[in-house]
Amino acid sequence: MEKTRLFTLTGRVLKNLFRKPATVGYPYEPVKYPERMRGHVEITIEDCITCGLCMRSCPSQAIQVDRKAGTWTISRFDCVQCGSCVNVCPKKCLTMETGYTQPDVAKTSETFTKPQEEKPQSVNMADGAAGASGATGRSGTGKPVMDPEKCVYCTLCAKKCPQEAIAVDRKEKTWVLDEEKCVECGICAEACPKKAISQ
Amino acid sequence: MAKRSIVPFGPQHPVLPEPVHLDLVLEDETVVGAVPSIGYVHRGLEKLVEKRDYKQYAYIAERICGICSCGHGLGYCMAVENVMGIEVSDRAKYLRTIWIEMSRVHSHLLWLGLLADAMGFESLFMESWRLREKILDMFDETTGGRIIHSVNQVGGVQKDMDSTMLNDVLHAVDDLQKEMKPIIDTFLQDYTVQSRLKGTGILKREDAISMGAVGPMLRASGEPYDVRMLGYAAYGDLSVEPIISTECDSYARCEVRLKELLQSFDLIREAIGKIPEGPVSVPVKGNPSGEYFVRIEQPRGEAIYYIKGNGTKYLDRFRLRTPTTSNIPPMVEMLKGCQLADVPLLILTIDPCVSCTER
Repeated sequence: MEKTRLFTLTGRVLKNLFRKPATVGYPYEPVKYPERMRGHVEITIEDCITCGLCMRSCPSQAIQVDRKAGTWTISRFDCVQCGSCVNVCPKKCLTMETGYTQPDVAKTSETFTKPQEEKPQSVNMADGAAGASGATGRSGTGKPVMDPEKCVYCTLCAKKCPQEAIAVDRKEKTWVLDEEKCVECGICAEACPKKAISQ
Repeated sequence: MAKRSIVPFGPQHPVLPEPVHLDLVLEDETVVGAVPSIGYVHRGLEKLVEKRDYKQYAYIAERICGICSCGHGLGYCMAVENVMGIEVSDRAKYLRTIWIEMSRVHSHLLWLGLLADAMGFESLFMESWRLREKILDMFDETTGGRIIHSVNQVGGVQKDMDSTMLNDVLHAVDDLQKEMKPIIDTFLQDYTVQSRLKGTGILKREDAISMGAVGPMLRASGEPYDVRMLGYAAYGDLSVEPIISTECDSYARCEVRLKELLQSFDLIREAIGKIPEGPVSVPVKGNPSGEYFVRIEQPRGEAIYYIKGNGTKYLDRFRLRTPTTSNIPPMVEMLKGCQLADVPLLILTIDPCVSCTER
């Protein structure tokens, strides 16, 4: 049983009278944010390949990626700063920065447009059935194409693929691309030790 | 017998941080019954598990509640890991333990502040929350978020703590323990506090057990039950002892939580001393298939996580039983016979977390 006392906090209260405030006068006084602070998402739009992985991994559906228009849109009010998009980005063009975004009176979203490339993308829908054996792919769509002469079926591309879109069988010597799953991120081409994959 | 009258209490009330409604049946000033009703902050987060893949849902599980966020993320990830047969690295287990103990510290300090506020002791309230700020700053430094940490993921944790950070946590804990002394003394010895807490809201041990009280509620009634004794995360390697009190009143619940704060400081120190080197996460392949049931000790008591996977990336079911859900029946029992003026304080002593309860 603890004993009973009076005026236990009086000393502390008197001290508080003469101390500077425990709070910081933000935003008039600047605040030092720690390095890891998840404040807001930033994008280096030049490096973005509009693969849409961030859009699909976002738990609050705050990100919209339009492949045709080459735009990346974030609704700052929907974003919950979880960092999911930053973790999945294959090009590491998304970063989590410290500090908060400006307050606003309306729910607006911010759109970033990719600078125009020299070679415009053309979509060839005609030979969708091609590539059943996997050895031949479509050209000009940005999907990876494998050169059977160079490929050693090491399966590194399949392991690196974020979408598990590539299936490689070492015994049968087949390389199959699931075009539905492929997001044209180019990770397979970068990973290939024999440079057998081109886009 | 005096004439009975019914007084509505809540959902908006100065003492309640979150909305819960009670119909209090009164005879003069004495409460003879209470009918609780909830449903003001239901968001359907359990249903959302069918629409978000199991890795994404770890972020949503954390957002069920702002105060218990670390534990919800941990419980959900542990359940998925068990279904998928993933063995988490030792370092990740220790980091998880450090973070959840830090979250216990911030939750208990928050509760102490609210208790002081409910008694009208504003200086004590301010002191408790000023100290809580130190732990929140440590969360900000180590995880990147003050309240929602987003560090737990299926397969381990997202971020490692280097030795500088571990040292900072250690210093913060030491400072905090030193600065806590005056407020601990005030809560336990002050005449004002004692006169509000002692002898009110008595919940006998048998009642606590039969009505399913959990956490500090149950331990303050003298039952040594703490889920951390199961040894999940790194608790198996650390010295955890349930902290109990046999007084069974509001004062006992305050005492248990204060002593748990000191225990958490010791656990953080011990975990930082023992933390092994190694990776913080293991790669996760495939989708969960099967069901699992996990129990963890949240700051408010035992929480249960159940998941059922069907082999696709979307889970069939996620179920969470929160400590507040099981503490509501004992609270109703406790209110019977008390004075109307004590009701706000008694509701607060169960540490209600309504947004967890309703999800």
